[in-house]
Amino acid sequence: MTEATRTPLLSMRGISKRFGGVEALVGVDLEVHRGEVVALVGDNAAGKSTLAKMVAGVLTPDAGLIEIDGVPVTIPTPAAAHALGVATVFQELALCDNLDVTSNLFLGRELRDGRGARDDERMEQVARQILRDLTSRIPTVRVPLSHLSAGQRQAVAIARTLIGSPRLVVLDEPTASLSVAQTAEVLVHIEGLRDLGLGVVLISHNMTDVRSVADRVEVLRHGRNNGSFDARSTGYEHIIAAITGASRAATPRPVPLRS
Amino acid sequence: MSRRAGAAGSQTALREANKALVVGTVQRYGGLTQVELAAATGLSQATVSTIVRELLAAGIVDTAVTTRSGRRAQLVTLARRVGLAVGIQVGHRHLRVVLGDFAHEVVAEQMLPLPFEHPSDTTLDRGALLVMDLLERIGSDLEDVVAIGLGVPAPVDVDTGVVSVPGLLRGWEDEHLAQVLTERLGRPVLVDNDANLGALAEATLGAARGYRDAVYVRASYGIGAGIVLGGQVHRGFAGTAGEIGHVQVDPTGHICRCGSRGCLDTVVGANALVEPLRASHGSLALRDVIARARDGDPGSSRVVADAGAVIGSVLAGLGTSMNPQCVVVGGELAETGEVLLGPLREALQRRVLLNQVAPLEVVPAALGQRAEVMGALVLALRSADVPVRAEDDAAPVGAPPGDGRRDGAREEQGEGGRDDDRG
Repeated sequence: MTEATRTPLLSMRGISKRFGGVEALVGVDLEVHRGEVVALVGDNAAGKSTLAKMVAGVLTPDAGLIEIDGVPVTIPTPAAAHALGVATVFQELALCDNLDVTSNLFLGRELRDGRGARDDERMEQVARQILRDLTSRIPTVRVPLSHLSAGQRQAVAIARTLIGSPRLVVLDEPTASLSVAQTAEVLVHIEGLRDLGLGVVLISHNMTDVRSVADRVEVLRHGRNNGSFDARSTGYEHIIAAITGASRAATPRPVPLRS
Repeated sequence: MSRRAGAAGSQTALREANKALVVGTVQRYGGLTQVELAAATGLSQATVSTIVRELLAAGIVDTAVTTRSGRRAQLVTLARRVGLAVGIQVGHRHLRVVLGDFAHEVVAEQMLPLPFEHPSDTTLDRGALLVMDLLERIGSDLEDVVAIGLGVPAPVDVDTGVVSVPGLLRGWEDEHLAQVLTERLGRPVLVDNDANLGALAEATLGAARGYRDAVYVRASYGIGAGIVLGGQVHRGFAGTAGEIGHVQVDPTGHICRCGSRGCLDTVVGANALVEPLRASHGSLALRDVIARARDGDPGSSRVVADAGAVIGSVLAGLGTSMNPQCVVVGGELAETGEVLLGPLREALQRRVLLNQVAPLEVVPAALGQRAEVMGALVLALRSADVPVRAEDDAAPVGAPPGDGRRDGAREEQGEGGRDDDRG
């Protein structure tokens, strides 16, 4: 891929992580470019979520190099991830049922006006703008989260990632337990993030959803890279074969930089 | 909430504006409770309640009792006359579903991205579930659906609903598509080629309205055309009429999926547009090429413009054979506007026989990316027992013209009906 000539938005090289005797990740590489949706797929315990948690600043790697926009970084905390322009939506949506859509979007990073008071009006404006940008079907930003459907809540969670103008969005199983119409909305949102020029890491078990919106599919197997596929021209069978281990990554990936 | 402009003038004008706002909001969301309507429009609940009552009396909206978080609520939807029909368009990389009424008014719609080489079983299954979800969204069910139209990106034998040429749409062959969907949904299903449906929609509701002979070109991942002759879509014996994607343009070119060499599809299809940009632009999807061409990127524009010229030269052959009055260009590539249309028009007009009666017009699809799915809706509505032309009489009952709530689709429909009479 000639994109290698451009600096990737996110570059992870030789990432390893152990939990006691468990090798969660062994020398894993991952690259994400601007305006690109990269899907991370694999069986249970393949290391997908562990890798995502490192980008989100929830876990730190034992070894390996992370670069954002070509600059080596450490991401020790979620706040650090946010400062670097990384936004993450975890599988268990961290939303507050009793608060309305606007409050959820801005939770923990409320806008202040000149006098330091909470600027509710501006927050509501921004919230409406973001939901409109995502062509969301949420009619009002004042409704409490408990009134929304599962798909709408997922849309709020995705919209939340856009507060603070991130560069990279990580979505962990965004379509799990959604109806087809709700899944459709979430997938359209993901295309919207891509069109906004953001890099997207998409983790999912659903191969149809993954292949619908991803540009590239990266397969993890037992904490190791097991193939990288162009989602725009690769059939379902090839990816499944790599996930199950029926096929192995043919050639070693580009020499990783061990730290 | 945003305050509506207070300087808009009289009380009546304000009330009309609020009415239009309420109808527009219901249209956008499919179905809303009155409480949600108030929040979404910024109007007070009392105002919304009054307006909904007026609209209900005028037959513009329907209301039904529903529940929101355990409480009784009033669900407001657009009124439907006679019944609903469903249009489904299967594309190479997306599925579109619309629910519409007999005035061709869309009451709910949803787009779903699809994977590369999606198989018919998974996609039709998702399509069926999406139809059910959308019906639920507007508080309706399959009982209200008179018929379902399905468009696929391959030639179809419309009598059997089977893809009629092997190799063009992998994973969709030898399947009685209409039967599969009918078994799932229990309603009559009609299948047609997507370009034919685009032609049907543009001839009924869009840019080819009022022309007896027209060509609709769908420039997408592949390329196809729908032919309108004497006001009727011409499908040919096995549904392959207008398959211009398989006209040979390069005798030394690549082998096409159909087995021939150098077909138009191999020269202007998605791969042929993306590949030449790989060295300079990296790995792009077709939608990236389109977005870049629209933004004026020289390389992407060049690729699209060259495609337009080749498509135009092939259309010239078709144009000379059938002498249409207009060529309507749709599909994703048409989103680049004149980048595609300019060279296409030039190539076409240079080669087609000049006539002294009227020039051959080349225009973009009026229905945009919705043309094919709207064609599927029209196909379903036409198949229903209820005469579609009855809506000419029904129009004043449904909504007084000029209430500003619709984009003129009703008037267009009226003319479409007259065209049929002539044809």
